[in-house]
Amino acid sequence: METLMELKPPAECTSPTASIWQDVLAQAVTGELVAAMNYAALAEICDDPREAGEAREHAAIERAHAAAFMAAGRKIGVDVVSNVDGKHWKRLSGAFMGCVAERDTIGCLIVQEIMLESFALASYTRVANVAPGSLGKVFGAIAADEQEHADHAMAILKAERDANPDRFDDKLHRLHLEVMSTLAKMLAKDCRDGHCEVCVSSCVKPSLFEVSLSAAQLRGASLQQYLKTLDALGLPGEITLAWIAQLPV
Amino acid sequence: MDCTAAGVAPRVDFALVGHPESWKAAADVFSALRGPDRIPLPDDELKDILPWIPPRAVCRVDVKSIADAEAHGLYIDSFIPPDRLDAACVRENLTRVRAAAAYAIKAGARIVSLGGFSSILIEGNFDQLPPRRSTIFTTGNTLTVAFIVQGIEKMCAQEGRSLRRSTLLVVGATGDVGSGCVRCLAPKVRRVLLHARNVERLRRLAAELEAEGVDVEIGTDLGSFSEEADVVVCAASLPSPSLLLGRVAPDALVCDAGYPKNLSPDAATSRATVFFGGLGQMTGGLKFDPDLQGILNRHPFPDVVHGCLLEGIALTLEGRFESFSRGRGAITPPHVMEIETIAARHGIVLAPFFNAAGPVTLQ
Repeated sequence: METLMELKPPAECTSPTASIWQDVLAQAVTGELVAAMNYAALAEICDDPREAGEAREHAAIERAHAAAFMAAGRKIGVDVVSNVDGKHWKRLSGAFMGCVAERDTIGCLIVQEIMLESFALASYTRVANVAPGSLGKVFGAIAADEQEHADHAMAILKAERDANPDRFDDKLHRLHLEVMSTLAKMLAKDCRDGHCEVCVSSCVKPSLFEVSLSAAQLRGASLQQYLKTLDALGLPGEITLAWIAQLPV
Repeated sequence: MDCTAAGVAPRVDFALVGHPESWKAAADVFSALRGPDRIPLPDDELKDILPWIPPRAVCRVDVKSIADAEAHGLYIDSFIPPDRLDAACVRENLTRVRAAAAYAIKAGARIVSLGGFSSILIEGNFDQLPPRRSTIFTTGNTLTVAFIVQGIEKMCAQEGRSLRRSTLLVVGATGDVGSGCVRCLAPKVRRVLLHARNVERLRRLAAELEAEGVDVEIGTDLGSFSEEADVVVCAASLPSPSLLLGRVAPDALVCDAGYPKNLSPDAATSRATVFFGGLGQMTGGLKFDPDLQGILNRHPFPDVVHGCLLEGIALTLEGRFESFSRGRGAITPPHVMEIETIAARHGIVLAPFFNAAGPVTLQ
């Protein structure tokens, strides 16, 4: 009779960088689980049954992403932990739930699709370029999925902005101050506010160079994706530049 | 500022495409945008963040003419990192300029001036720019030449120098700005020394001048010329200002018209008069929103702007939406005269003289 250990799929690789990938995956899984919770909550406030169904579908997709990342971790011989109550993620989730409490579906889409997805899409794409073997493929495939989500939401948000640009931009700025400031702290080169409560031991950022990544690169790529999304929505560049310039570092 | 109805995008007549001249200049802009309540971005953070910023408007620009015309535009930064202006980054920088041009087109600008390195990268080949329906591009180099030539003439007059008896050295003589300066100034001096890297282009330009009866000497090495120059136009940034040492008369008049400007009057030419050339001043009115006056245009005098950017503004105020400067060494004295007349009509005049140390006072 085979033991449980023998049934476990063999690790694709165990390398000195495995612990770095473990923390990178922990952030990704946490982000996906937060997104799943967000979409599930959004489904509850959608008046249109079709939209509610889509939100539930998105929640399921995000859970599947989290599962795929965990499986990718097992393949390289690491157990991926997650912590949706980690301090940054809790704050990001709190911003979304604030919109839910106000039954503000547009606010929800702004937080999830413009801000969190910009971060996810840009980060996953960078990681996909350097991660070994199947790990890189998983990040690449999920990045492509996230792009599809974002494209879908953009049409709704563009129509909302076209209807009343000032109201839309004011709301976006209010959420930017809350969400993007948290993301900026999360992506800062040093964690000045202490441990993020997601990395398994010490902060992974100083080690990222060992896998050809850096916190500065992930932050830069995320900000770039965010600005491009705001441009596509039609926000004036001189306004969004000032917003970015004012973020904490 | 042009206050339009809520939600309606303000009118964009013109766009000025530029890039940070130095990290200090970029830091000053970011500090201003961060506001007084936030600490300035540390240098290392700025260097990490800036290269990721997609080209975009930095501020709105409103101008008024002394002839009562007004126009509204955008200053668009391509965010080429100041330490990546070299040849190794041409492809990357060209992509940035194209993206800045696309931004201007999307904003609805009718005319776009390509400032600083932007026009050098495009090299007069406007086909490299994104498809556009009604947006016109100009390198702005003709007005830059006009202000360089005006500066040389005015400075000579102020210092009591005889331009007619001068030996003129033009560094970067075969470029768009350099060749324009040569064509304008050569008939007004005793002798012309042409310096550039490409000897074939030097020969062609020299032949053109010799056909007009100009006494010309060419060289790819500054040390090879048979005599010292007493009037110098640096239309290209020198790798080191010290290259001019011993190559020009000790009391020479030196116009630093390169970009970025790097001729410090105390480094290479302690007795020479060094001034920054190619700059003009908007006397009718110039406003930035957000207010980056003196930050985007870091000069010791107000409302001073590079001639290449002012050309687009002058053409807008005149209602002439055309590619006045197309690059590739086509700037001629009649063109220069035409654009300086247009500019002057709208109160765009030669800037007061200054250099890296501040205003230039007559000795």
